[in-house]
Amino acid sequence: MTKDAILLAPSTGYLLLGLFSLLWIGLGIYWGRRNKSFEDHALAGRNVGLALGSATAAATWITSNTTMLAPQFALQLGIWGMLAYSTAAFGLILFAPMARRIRQLMPHGYTSGDFFRLRYGRTAWGIFMLFTLFYSLTWLVSMAMAGGILLEALAGIDYVWGMTVILAVCVIYTMRGGLAAVIGTDFIQSLIILVGIVVVGFAVLQNVSVGEIHANLTAHKPQLVEVLFPAAIMALFNNLLFGLGEVFHNNVWWSRAFAFREGVGSKAFLIGGLVWFPIPVAAGFIALASGALGVGVPSPDMVGPLVIANVLGEVGAVAIFIIVFCSLASSIDSLLAATSDLITEDIYRKLIKPAATPERLKKVAQIVTLLLGLGTWAVCVPRLGTLATVLFFAGPLVGAMIWPIVAGLYWRRATSVGAIGGMLLGGGVGLVSYFAIGWYVASTIATAVSMVWVLGAAWLSNDQYDWNLLKEA
Amino acid sequence: MTFSSGFLSILVYGALIWCALSAIGLGALLVRDMSRGESW
Repeated sequence: MTKDAILLAPSTGYLLLGLFSLLWIGLGIYWGRRNKSFEDHALAGRNVGLALGSATAAATWITSNTTMLAPQFALQLGIWGMLAYSTAAFGLILFAPMARRIRQLMPHGYTSGDFFRLRYGRTAWGIFMLFTLFYSLTWLVSMAMAGGILLEALAGIDYVWGMTVILAVCVIYTMRGGLAAVIGTDFIQSLIILVGIVVVGFAVLQNVSVGEIHANLTAHKPQLVEVLFPAAIMALFNNLLFGLGEVFHNNVWWSRAFAFREGVGSKAFLIGGLVWFPIPVAAGFIALASGALGVGVPSPDMVGPLVIANVLGEVGAVAIFIIVFCSLASSIDSLLAATSDLITEDIYRKLIKPAATPERLKKVAQIVTLLLGLGTWAVCVPRLGTLATVLFFAGPLVGAMIWPIVAGLYWRRATSVGAIGGMLLGGGVGLVSYFAIGWYVASTIATAVSMVWVLGAAWLSNDQYDWNLLKEA
Repeated sequence: MTFSSGFLSILVYGALIWCALSAIGLGALLVRDMSRGESW
């Protein structure tokens, strides 16, 4: 991305940035007033309803990758690319029954770390913490970096300034409002994103028909409409498994399973997944229109904004700026809250200060959120790596955690040997595949290796785990 | 073998209409939850 890609006057960009920053911080402070204890702060009082629950599931899963990388997938992998990206919705949809099971088995639970510690013991918990913190921090850094890069490309706002403002706004309202602020802002952000995508999508279709897009692709890039496109089909399975691994293991989703009111979790994740499912197609087809519209694409990861700004002018640029800002905030705030809860509950409370009061734990969670923000900022300033590659590096690690979680939740015979071996072997072989073959097979191979080990170990064992042990959390 | 223009139309219009209905549905769900005092 270069200065040539700037679509919006910097003054308009700064104005939008300021207005939305004030809105999110104001709402965060307002919603944070009722938080007294760590449970209020981390889990919004365990009483979140269906509408807010569904919206937060969808909004958190709508990252800047969804709105920016989905068009890139479409541009490079065609129709299969959009569909491949949409399969990430199955992470939320298949987590729906698990959310109900988690709430039943762990009515007093706080984090996914609690599950690993109680189900598989300290060693498995340690490996899980390493994997999940690596993934969460990678995701956090990639989102913050994407924020800086996108604001610079869209409105000419200096990278460090844009990244700093987005991160600072999310840190402030997450510190003050905890999960309640995150869920409340997620609802507004999800509506803004959905309406924005619909308006932009139909506006693009006023300028070029689907028939013209298809004819142009058939003439100039026929592989993008091919039914048999091997790399794209492999990407579909890889993305599906990456999505499953991300949702199944991460505390972003577990904390919501604990926070939703009894009976709400499974419905909220199902609706959230269904809300998310069409977004990669609705955002991605815009990239396929670039040829028919005659829009030059100097950088594939900017194809969406470039097409929109070319077709809709300044109004389109403002729309994409707002959509991107909301997509970034809805993911960064959730990651800050969930990772801070994980460190506060699993490390501070369980290892350092078991007798800490609820008020003290809330204060610690706020300090950890601040430190996470500062650490992320320090890593992002040098601007290393690219949007996609940094996050895909974590793919095999999260793929390797799918089976230890699924087996551990539903099968008494699942063992810690199976979980430890599954994570280490699956993650290791997956990482080797990542470098030896490519990102598009790494998660698939990691998941397959982990599955064989976890299920094999459970099949050979005679253990009968007592589910009541999970109620301790 | 290629995806047809009709398939692409269904995919694109279907996704956009689905997104619009999702936004309306989420708004309606919130109104329902708030009227019952169950939003959170």
